Amino acid sequence: MASRMEIFSPEGLRIDGRRWNEVRHFRCAINTHPVSSDGSAIIEQGNTKVICNVIGPVEPTLRSRVVPDRVSISVKVVVAPFSTIDRRKRSQNDSRIQEMCSSIQHVFEDAVIAHLFPRSQIDVNLYVVAQDGGVLQACINATTLALIDAGVPMYDYVCACTAGMLDREVLLDLNRIEESDMPFLTMATIGSKRKVALLQLEMKVQFDRLEPMMAASMSGCHHIRDLMDNEVRKHGKSRLERGSL
Amino acid sequence: MPMLTVHTSTDLFSSSRLGHRAPRSAKEELDSEDVVMSDADSAEPEQESDDDDDRIFSLDHTETGDGDARVTGVVKSRHIVTPGELVTAESMWMRGHGTYSVGLKSYSSVAGTITRVNKLLSVAPLRGRYDPKIGDHVIGRIIDVGTRSWHVDIGAKQAAVLMLGSVNLPGGVQRRKSESDELQMRAFLKEGDLLNAEVQAVFTDGAASLHTRSLNYGKLRNGYFFTIPSSLVVRSKYHTFELPGGVDLVLGVNGYIWLRKHTQQLGEQGVSITRLAEEAGWEIYSDENEYISPSIRENIARYANAVKALRYCEVGVNEARVIAAYEASKEYRSPGEMIENDVKKRIAKHVLLATKG
Repeated sequence: MASRMEIFSPEGLRIDGRRWNEVRHFRCAINTHPVSSDGSAIIEQGNTKVICNVIGPVEPTLRSRVVPDRVSISVKVVVAPFSTIDRRKRSQNDSRIQEMCSSIQHVFEDAVIAHLFPRSQIDVNLYVVAQDGGVLQACINATTLALIDAGVPMYDYVCACTAGMLDREVLLDLNRIEESDMPFLTMATIGSKRKVALLQLEMKVQFDRLEPMMAASMSGCHHIRDLMDNEVRKHGKSRLERGSL
Repeated sequence: MPMLTVHTSTDLFSSSRLGHRAPRSAKEELDSEDVVMSDADSAEPEQESDDDDDRIFSLDHTETGDGDARVTGVVKSRHIVTPGELVTAESMWMRGHGTYSVGLKSYSSVAGTITRVNKLLSVAPLRGRYDPKIGDHVIGRIIDVGTRSWHVDIGAKQAAVLMLGSVNLPGGVQRRKSESDELQMRAFLKEGDLLNAEVQAVFTDGAASLHTRSLNYGKLRNGYFFTIPSSLVVRSKYHTFELPGGVDLVLGVNGYIWLRKHTQQLGEQGVSITRLAEEAGWEIYSDENEYISPSIRENIARYANAVKALRYCEVGVNEARVIAAYEASKEYRSPGEMIENDVKKRIAKHVLLATKG
């Protein structure tokens, strides 16, 4: 019980001083690598930091990647060995990384207006530089911003957020310590409406506790959408002012 | 392993997107009100995107007089729209690139500015790959030699094709391309070769067809290649320039740039189509570089770094600006000094001042 007290104190404060419904410090930047990629972004959510580079849409490099009526999206996630406390090299064939890649790929195949670019491909390269919980959500958010920077047409922003359940308390946007102590889910929404693009839950949780978790993470997603939208507008305005268009 | 992974976005086009919001559960209503940021210094989220039912595209009244679709010409708005933002809910507008529509409403699909041409509304993205247009002078790199055609990378969403019938034969003979020409296609252009060409046609999927049927176009040699974003290239009547210092600049509309030692080009000698035979020998497909003196090499490096300075500061590139940047760079003894970001900024500032008048 003692460890539980640390995770969520009776006063309603979490281990890093947040309330249950507060997201971590969110910082994002767009167009960070203008020369090496078509679109790029950096996301920091708390101590989790992800860099995303998007290349495309381009002619497919492999004949097998050609889809006649839509764009094919491939996602590569590179987790840096120094990103966690236990320094360990993860291969590209790590099953967890592979699973994350396919989740991200499925989400964005639905969010990108794919029929506009038949017979072409989009490569999404994600670099996890530091991880402190919520790696999948940070990857999805970074990909959204990088795709917008690349000028790829999308129906709306795809935003992801996690929520966990400790006893009967919902906690939003978990860090690494909280993630290891409670069941949590990752949700991604398209836009500011109630459209769910991804819902991933890896642990067992009582069915009646699922709804509050989903509700909390959805409002977290909408909040993150507003933060990212602000950044995109700020960037667009500065470009217009510089007269580069 | 995940117990539950659901991917759904099937109702993206359903009428629920159009209509009123579904009533939320009491619990959720509470949650969405309660979510706040943990750090106080971040900006408050804009409410703009939430009340999108009320927003419609409105033209700048000072520019056009009124928001009437009968007003002709191109109108560019300075307002930034982002993906998912409502562009217009009125049926009088036609929907162009960068938008998608659900029922009568059309939304932006990219981050950019609204452009109106008569009744057509489109959203021009802030950034994006090159979009080929007929007549563009582009630079490309051969990526594949096929049957009767080459595939050329021009930095677009699709590789361009250069048909065997769209190139000049060595010797300039005018005839149908035969099977023997097909067999020696690699002798003309092989993988990795750079060429400049003109966009002859654009297919419906955005792929371009090129031609090099002029002595201004063809294989490139004696120079240095680099790229800038295509949005920075200012379109003009000509895209090949003879610059001071014995250097030629080929400024591809696709943002691919070739700087070479100035040589008397075949086209410049006033070659008529009838004399093409004598002038256009195998040398137009030659891979051999001529001797390039150290001073010319330095000038090429100086020009390249000057254009890269403009690229760094996102200044549009045209002939006058390249020359102005070259003049500004003479204050630095070695072109190598121009890779510093401070120097790049100073050069770009100088260029903007010099070319203002």
